[in-house]
Amino acid sequence: MTMTIANSLDDVLSGLANGARPIAGGTDLVVGSRQGKGALPDHLIAIDRVHELATIDVGDAGTRIGSGVTHATLMTNPTVVDSFTAIADAAALVGSPATRNVGTIGGNVMNGSPAMDTGAPLVVLNARAELRTLESTRLVHLDELWVGPGRTSAQKNELCTALVIPQQPESSGSAYVRLEYRRTMEIAIVGAAAAITLDDGIIRSAHVALTAVAPTILTVEGLAPLIGKPVDETTLATVAELASEQAAPISDLRASERYRRQMIGVMASRAVDAAARRAGGETLSVPVNRALGVGAQS
Amino acid sequence: MAVTDLPEFIRADGPDKVTGSGRYTADMTLTGQLVAKFKYGGVSHGRITRLDVTAARAIPGVFAVLTAADVPDVRYSYGLADRTLFATDIIRFEGEIVAAVAAINADIAQQALDAIELDIEMLEPVVDLEAAIADGAPLVHENIDSYEVTGDTPHSGNVATHSSISMGDAEAAMTNAATVVTSRYLADASHATPIEPRAVIAQWEGDKVTVWTSTQVPFDARAGVCETLELPTSKVRIIAPHLGGGFGGKCGAHFEPHIAALARVAKRPVKLVFSRWEEFIAPDRRREAMIIDVTTGVDADGHIVARTGEILLDNGAYMADSSFFAQAAAMHVAGPYVIPNVHIDAKLIYTNHQPSGSVRAPTAPQGCWAVESHTDEIAKAIGMDALEFRRKNIVTSASTGCVGQTYDEIGLDQCLELATTSAGWGTELPEGEALGISVGWWPSFAAPAGAYAKLHGDGTVQVITGASECGTGSVMTLRMLAADEIGIDETAIELIYQDTGAAPAGPGSSGSQTLFNHGRAVEKASQMVADQLRELAAAQLEANAGDIVLENGAASVAGSPAISIPIVELAAASETGELLGSAAADAIEWPEITGSTCLGEQGFSSWLAPQFSCHVARVRVDADTGVTRVLEVHAVHDSGTILNPVAAHGQVEGGVMMGVGQALTEGTRYDERGHQLNAGLLEYKLQTIADAPTITTQFVEIFTNNAGPRGAKGLAEAPNVATCGAVNNAIANATGVRVRQLPMTAERVWTAMNNPEAST
Amino acid sequence: MSNTTGPSAVTLNVNGVPYPIVINTDRTLSTVIRNEIGLTGTKEGCDDCECGACMVLLDGRPINSCSYLAAQAQGREITTVEGLASQDDLSPLQRNILAAGGVQCGFCTPGMLMSATALLNENPSPTKEEVRIGLSGNLCRCTGYARILDSVIQTSVEIN
Repeated sequence: MTMTIANSLDDVLSGLANGARPIAGGTDLVVGSRQGKGALPDHLIAIDRVHELATIDVGDAGTRIGSGVTHATLMTNPTVVDSFTAIADAAALVGSPATRNVGTIGGNVMNGSPAMDTGAPLVVLNARAELRTLESTRLVHLDELWVGPGRTSAQKNELCTALVIPQQPESSGSAYVRLEYRRTMEIAIVGAAAAITLDDGIIRSAHVALTAVAPTILTVEGLAPLIGKPVDETTLATVAELASEQAAPISDLRASERYRRQMIGVMASRAVDAAARRAGGETLSVPVNRALGVGAQS
Repeated sequence: MAVTDLPEFIRADGPDKVTGSGRYTADMTLTGQLVAKFKYGGVSHGRITRLDVTAARAIPGVFAVLTAADVPDVRYSYGLADRTLFATDIIRFEGEIVAAVAAINADIAQQALDAIELDIEMLEPVVDLEAAIADGAPLVHENIDSYEVTGDTPHSGNVATHSSISMGDAEAAMTNAATVVTSRYLADASHATPIEPRAVIAQWEGDKVTVWTSTQVPFDARAGVCETLELPTSKVRIIAPHLGGGFGGKCGAHFEPHIAALARVAKRPVKLVFSRWEEFIAPDRRREAMIIDVTTGVDADGHIVARTGEILLDNGAYMADSSFFAQAAAMHVAGPYVIPNVHIDAKLIYTNHQPSGSVRAPTAPQGCWAVESHTDEIAKAIGMDALEFRRKNIVTSASTGCVGQTYDEIGLDQCLELATTSAGWGTELPEGEALGISVGWWPSFAAPAGAYAKLHGDGTVQVITGASECGTGSVMTLRMLAADEIGIDETAIELIYQDTGAAPAGPGSSGSQTLFNHGRAVEKASQMVADQLRELAAAQLEANAGDIVLENGAASVAGSPAISIPIVELAAASETGELLGSAAADAIEWPEITGSTCLGEQGFSSWLAPQFSCHVARVRVDADTGVTRVLEVHAVHDSGTILNPVAAHGQVEGGVMMGVGQALTEGTRYDERGHQLNAGLLEYKLQTIADAPTITTQFVEIFTNNAGPRGAKGLAEAPNVATCGAVNNAIANATGVRVRQLPMTAERVWTAMNNPEAST
Repeated sequence: MSNTTGPSAVTLNVNGVPYPIVINTDRTLSTVIRNEIGLTGTKEGCDDCECGACMVLLDGRPINSCSYLAAQAQGREITTVEGLASQDDLSPLQRNILAAGGVQCGFCTPGMLMSATALLNENPSPTKEEVRIGLSGNLCRCTGYARILDSVIQTSVEIN
């Protein structure tokens, strides 16, 4: 096998055109090959030194988060923490500092795992993936990108170069929470992201997406009844009920279907609550899992 | 590198360990070494219908492929000799070794494994403890009656051994009790999980083999190699490099015989390093699953008058060292209580799971968890505070315990008071938080051990011991004992250990015995050197040897410290230029009992120098999810005299942490065919530093007769006994419901809270 | 852009020393550090980024070397546990973890030290909670973590 270390985006796109596969941190690829999930590709092109992929730019069309931005950067970058807090919440929960140093948002998105932590936050923030080849650039909505567990609609020669997120309205807030058996080093058993915009304490818009309860990240439908209501026990109960109903969880050794279904409701309502509190101007530290409740420091 | 200014009791192996210069087994490389890999059965129960290694042997770069046909036909295991190095006919658990290969590199070794032709006829697996002893159950060992039996090991069908402890008339006393409480508890299996996966290297020179291995017990490993490969003791040398933790999991002989056999055929050194998956599935050391049914009767004053119990333990496929487990479990379900009438029956049951074997205080965390949960249920049933109920019923100095052993001075009552005071028992806590109490006990073990001590002409000492340093630091305490006896500074003592070619035999690092047994031998060997120094000094100082004091590197007459002779001069002036001591630890008599073990006596009915503990846990439970965090553990231990405080605190903190993991997240999961589903560290969850509770440790130091050196009892296992029970009682106090399955995962806590009828 | 076909010649910089070696491109950094470069302080405990025993610093930041391809580390500075002590004495962190009793079997210690070193470089005055999160990728079975935590806090006090 070969390893090419790319220094520019053109290097990468040429490599992909010639059949190479991109490697960023490589954790999923290397661990996956050892666990028999697929051999390492014959030709790898390392994209972690391509500076164009590692920037976060705020522009008119929204914020462009380079696919090579690591979780360590996402959880501390002021733009992400201030405007897209759910992404920071999620990035801060990924693995350990060592995995966050090499793991990237592009790697997460293109792996297409329904348990990816950054997926649900990107969905509720209405992010699109920028896919490039030598010849073309296109923006794809994430629900079109993810077609099944571990599968995307991207072509082999397409590189995810960025996630593009529209500017959020005033009085918006977002949050990502997940069920954790340990305070760190977990994988999402279930998780939920919410993005809420308030108008004088009243919900103007609400988006909720769920992690690890369906073959891909699941968007919760039917949130219209929340609009025009305050965030209170009734609205949170509605969110919990909708999330539990729409989830299609499985039973596995991490949790039973029944428990997952109940827990996704709890997570969804907690995500909405935290997002709304942030929308209302309250500061809840990142990740919110460790700011509140049983995950808080003792 | 000169390492300066480190405090007292610093571990001698510490600088090696923090700089990376220390070599663990996997860090060693021998010229020409080959890579070993094992072919596992892969099914939990099956009959080998075809095994052909011809193609594997033909692969270039493959130097040895071994099966049962290539090693002596020897059955081993204590209790029942039920096992062979390689599967002969029947595969009894998924990690059973069918063949072993040695090849020039890992890739070729893997090719050789893939080229082994193995056909298996599937047999119905035995995976359920109650079904295993029902009529007509498939048998794990069809020919059990042909196995050689050692010790008192009554067996039949899938019952590998059966023990009971009995005193008084439990049935009659139960009938007369004012209140009777019955409980049932289920404990999942769990793992020792040292961070170092095991590794073995073997090299032959002529007819002698040297094996470097990650063992806790070099002498047991040697015995295993000698027994299975039919070699004389003198031809086998076991060396344990630095050991990356064991927790019982690295006791016994494991894969040393396989690797020695491969190296002999390959005529090259052979090295095995386990993956984490292998570390989970292959060793015959797993903490046993249990079903515990216990009934207790109390009188109108809240005194326990009777206890009965039925315990089923999952032995897995082979005995390993588990023959005493049934009796040990019975003792834990009886508990450190005054119970005049007791009858507890325990059966160790063969299944097609990985074999169970000693993991840090075997049977105790589960047994204690069950009986301490039960204890709180009794207290609740009679409306008595859990602390008050224990005050009334625990064993104290001069009281008589569950099989009629009358205790000397013991400190369980002090442990109970100190731990509950430390935790603030009875004070108001925030919503969702609560405290829980558990008391526990564990014996000390007396075993033969020897030691040599050599005082060199330059004033330095070598202490040569069969002890092993598993991480506990207790080997380091041996230096302290020698230094104290000989009167020189600890830094002048060098330990030679973990080498069967150098040291007299001993139990190694198992059963909390390092200090208890090896310490007594080292003390005695050092005294022999000291006696010679006194004779030499007495001649020069014209005094009686008995009046000579050895301290601060010099000999002087008691009361006249001004006139002294440096010890180094005495040693150099000796006839041979060095002074030698060699000694064995004295045998210790075990305490008498008045009750009985009706059957299955394995030495666990009377507890020598028993250790006691009380843990109080503070937990926070998330009522919506069942996620539980242990915030604090207040641990108080009576382990006799504490000689090395840093190491002692480290043992308690580590044992408590392991207990928290067993309480909340560590449980082995199986599918219905007996396969482990979570044989990896993502799904088998150890606690991280972010989960670690604040642990407050105190010691009740009581001098105990028949203890180890200077009144020390064991300590390494005792801290792993009581934590799970304390956590469950705290969860019950926080939620009002009782969790009946260990580990008490978030889902199980949530289920108990939402289906109280299903769990009470 | 550099292209490496395995087995191929690469140069890895470890603890300030360049190592020109020939490796297969599919080899992980931990394997190469241990077997080719011969620094065995870096341990392998799980092979899937769960235990942290293999942790090394890559340009000053901790990574799990068991799951990072060695060929990808070309041109970067790798620090292992062997690079922590000076010629004359232990680093303050090494000294403090020993003095506190934070070392038992020692198998997690190298990875723990690498995480803690990176943490203190980035944040010389961490809170206890920050230390807990910073070291959360390093499992220890022996100590219960308390003394490791204490030694990092103690070191932060000394270096400030």
